[in-house]
Amino acid sequence: MAQHNLRTVVGFEVSRTLGKKRFWLITLLVPIAIGIVMALVVLGNATAASSLDEQSETEFTFTYSDTSGYVDPAVAGTLDGTPVTDDEAAIAAVRAGEQDAHFVYPEDPTTTPTEVYGVDKGLFGNNAYGSVATQVLVTSAQDQIGDPALTALAQGNVAVTATTFVDGEEAAGFMGMIPPLIFVGIFFLVFTLLANQMLTSTLEEKENRVTEMILTTLNPTTLITGKIIALFTVGFVQVLVFLLPAFIAYLFFRTALNIPELDLSGFNSDPAQMIIGALLAIGGFALFTGTLVAIGAVMPTAKDAGNFFGALIILMIIPLYALSLILSDPQSPVVQLFTYFPYSAPITAMLRNAFGSLAGWEAAIVITELFLLSAVVLQVAVRLFRYGSIEYTRKVSFRSVFPWPRTKCTTHR
Amino acid sequence: MDFAGVTAVEDLSFDVERGETFGFLGSNGSGKTTTLRALLGIYIPTAGILHIDGRPFTPEAGSRLGYLPEERGLYKKESVLTVMTYFGELKGLSRKAAAAWSMNYLERVNLGEKAKTRVDKLSGGQQQKVQLGVTIMNDPELLILDEPTKGFDPVNRRLLMDVIEEQKRAGATVLMVTHQMDEVERLCDRVILLKGGRAEAYGTIPEVQNQYGGTMIRLSYSGNIPESPHYEISTRDRNYAELTLTDSTDEALILRDLVAAGVLVRSFTTSKLSLEEIFVSVYGDQNNEMAAV
Repeated sequence: MAQHNLRTVVGFEVSRTLGKKRFWLITLLVPIAIGIVMALVVLGNATAASSLDEQSETEFTFTYSDTSGYVDPAVAGTLDGTPVTDDEAAIAAVRAGEQDAHFVYPEDPTTTPTEVYGVDKGLFGNNAYGSVATQVLVTSAQDQIGDPALTALAQGNVAVTATTFVDGEEAAGFMGMIPPLIFVGIFFLVFTLLANQMLTSTLEEKENRVTEMILTTLNPTTLITGKIIALFTVGFVQVLVFLLPAFIAYLFFRTALNIPELDLSGFNSDPAQMIIGALLAIGGFALFTGTLVAIGAVMPTAKDAGNFFGALIILMIIPLYALSLILSDPQSPVVQLFTYFPYSAPITAMLRNAFGSLAGWEAAIVITELFLLSAVVLQVAVRLFRYGSIEYTRKVSFRSVFPWPRTKCTTHR
Repeated sequence: MDFAGVTAVEDLSFDVERGETFGFLGSNGSGKTTTLRALLGIYIPTAGILHIDGRPFTPEAGSRLGYLPEERGLYKKESVLTVMTYFGELKGLSRKAAAAWSMNYLERVNLGEKAKTRVDKLSGGQQQKVQLGVTIMNDPELLILDEPTKGFDPVNRRLLMDVIEEQKRAGATVLMVTHQMDEVERLCDRVILLKGGRAEAYGTIPEVQNQYGGTMIRLSYSGNIPESPHYEISTRDRNYAELTLTDSTDEALILRDLVAAGVLVRSFTTSKLSLEEIFVSVYGDQNNEMAAV
C-alpha cells in the first residue's frame, strides 16, 4: 500500500507540474534565451567574417618612413607601399584625402609604437591600416631571419605538455579536475531550479487546507518522499530541456558558433573522486531538501518562507567567496569550517574533492555527517509537516511540536 | 493531549459501536477536533491509546475510512476529476475505478459538467460537494465528519444528510461533530458532550436528557402552584408555568397533586429537555465566563 501510494504521489506531483503552462513558460525561457544568444552570436560571427573579408579585400596605397631600418622596401612594395622621407607632407596628403595612408616606423618598433595615419574607412576598414603596417614589419623581419622555424620560436609559438606523478602514478592534472567539478554544477543547478518548488510543495497542502485529508489517507513520510522523488524527476526534465540547445548547437552549429570539438579522452576521472563527488551531491541535496520542506511546513505562506530561503542560499554559496583559499590553503581554519559546517559542506567538499585536497577520511566524515543530518532533518520535517501544516494561518512553535513530556492524558476507544 | 503546556483533552474515554451514528458535541475549543485529529494519528497523544477496530489507526490501513475535516480544502489548481481520482487512488482504488466512481458521483450531485473544471473555479457549495465525494469514496466503513454541514446551504445540507443516511444504511459507522442539535436528535444513536477536554455527558440521547433534568411539564392554569420536592418551577407567569422534574416521579401523580391543591389545570403537556437546551445550559456558563474575561 505504501509503495502504491508513493507511486501515486510521484505520478500526481510530476504530471500536474509538467501539465502546467507556467512550468513550461519558465523552463523554456532559458533555452529560448540561449537560442536567441546563439542566433545573435551566429549573426555576429557572420557579420564579423564578412567585415573581415571586406577588410582583407580592401586595397589601398600607402607611404611610409622607416627610421628603424627593419622594413624591407621589397615587402612594402608588394603591398603598394612607397617610402617617403617627409612625414609632415605625407600626413598632410592623407588629411587632404590625396593619399590613403601613411606609416611612421620609429627607430625601435619594439618599444615605440608605429604611427599610422589614414583616411577614415569605418571601424573595420580602419583596422586594415594597422594590420598592413604590422604585416610589413613582421614579413620584413621574417625575411631577415630567413628560417620559418626560428621565426615561430622568436614569436613564442611553442607548445608544452606536462606530465606529473603522484605516488608513482601519473596525475590527472587539470583535466582530471573537470569531471568531479561537474557535481558542483549539477548540485547548484538542480538546487537553484528546484529550491522554490521544494519550499512551496508542502506549503500548497497547507495553503489549500488539504493536509488533514492527506494525512488520513497516507503517511507523511510517504508524501514527502514522493514529493522529493517528483522534484528530482521534474528537475531532470528541466535539465534536459536546458541542455537541449547546447546539444543542438554542438551538433548543427558548431562551426558557426566556433565551438571546439570535444575530446573526451582528455578527461581523466578518478573513480573514487567521482563516487565521493556523487555522494556529496546526493547528501547535500537531501539535506537542503529536508530543510526546505521543514521550513515550508512551519511557515504560513510562501512569502514568509522566502526569507529563510534566502538565508539558506547564502549558506550554500558562501564557500564560493573563499574559492581562492580553498584552492591555495585547504587546511586554513575558514576552509575547515566551511568543510564541516553542514550547509556549506556540500560545495566546499565537492570543490576540495575536485581539486584533490579532500582526504579520504575527511570525505568519509562529511558524507556521514550529511546523510545522518539529512535523515534527522527529514524526520523533523515530517513531524513539522504533521503539526505545522494544520496550523493553517500561523507559524507553528517548536515547543508545540516537540513538547517536553509533562502531563498525562488518556484518550482511547 | 497537551499543546505547549496546555492540556486540550484529558481523561476522555468513549466507545463507538459498529454501525451506529455517534454525535461528538461541544462548544468551540472544547477539544472535539483535537480528539478527532489524535484519533486519526494527525496528532500524537501525550498519553493514552486510540483504537479503531481494535487497532491503532494508520493512514495506510485506513483506506476504508472517510474523513471530512472542519478545515475544508482541495488542490485548487487541479481539475475536479484529477483531484478526486488522486484521492481515490490513495484510498486503494485503481485509477480507472477512481475516475469512474468520481464521474458517477459528480453526475449524481449535478457536477458532471464540471469534471474538467479547476477546483478554484467552483462555488463554495460545489467545492463542498466535491469534498464530500472524496470523503465517501471507496465505501468507507467509518465516516468521521467534523461539522459536516458547516457552510452548506439548505439544499446541500439536505443532500449531505441523504448521503450520510445512505452510508449508514450501507453499514457505515458515523462519528459526527456538529453544532446542529436538530441533526443530532434526528441522526445520532448516542452522543458525548465535551467540556474543557473532558466528557460532560455520554450516552443515548434519552440518557443524556435524563442526566440534565429529564422531563419538563408545561402548564396552563389558574390558581397557586404549590412548592414540591418533585419539581422546580423554572418559569411562572400569570396563567403559564414550566416545571422541571427533579426526580423520576410519574407526571400523572404531579397532575393529581396539582388538582388536589386546587389548581385549575387548562392544559398539561410533558416534554424532555431538547439537546439544544441542554447544550445552552452546559456551555452557557462557560461563554459567560469567557465574556467576563
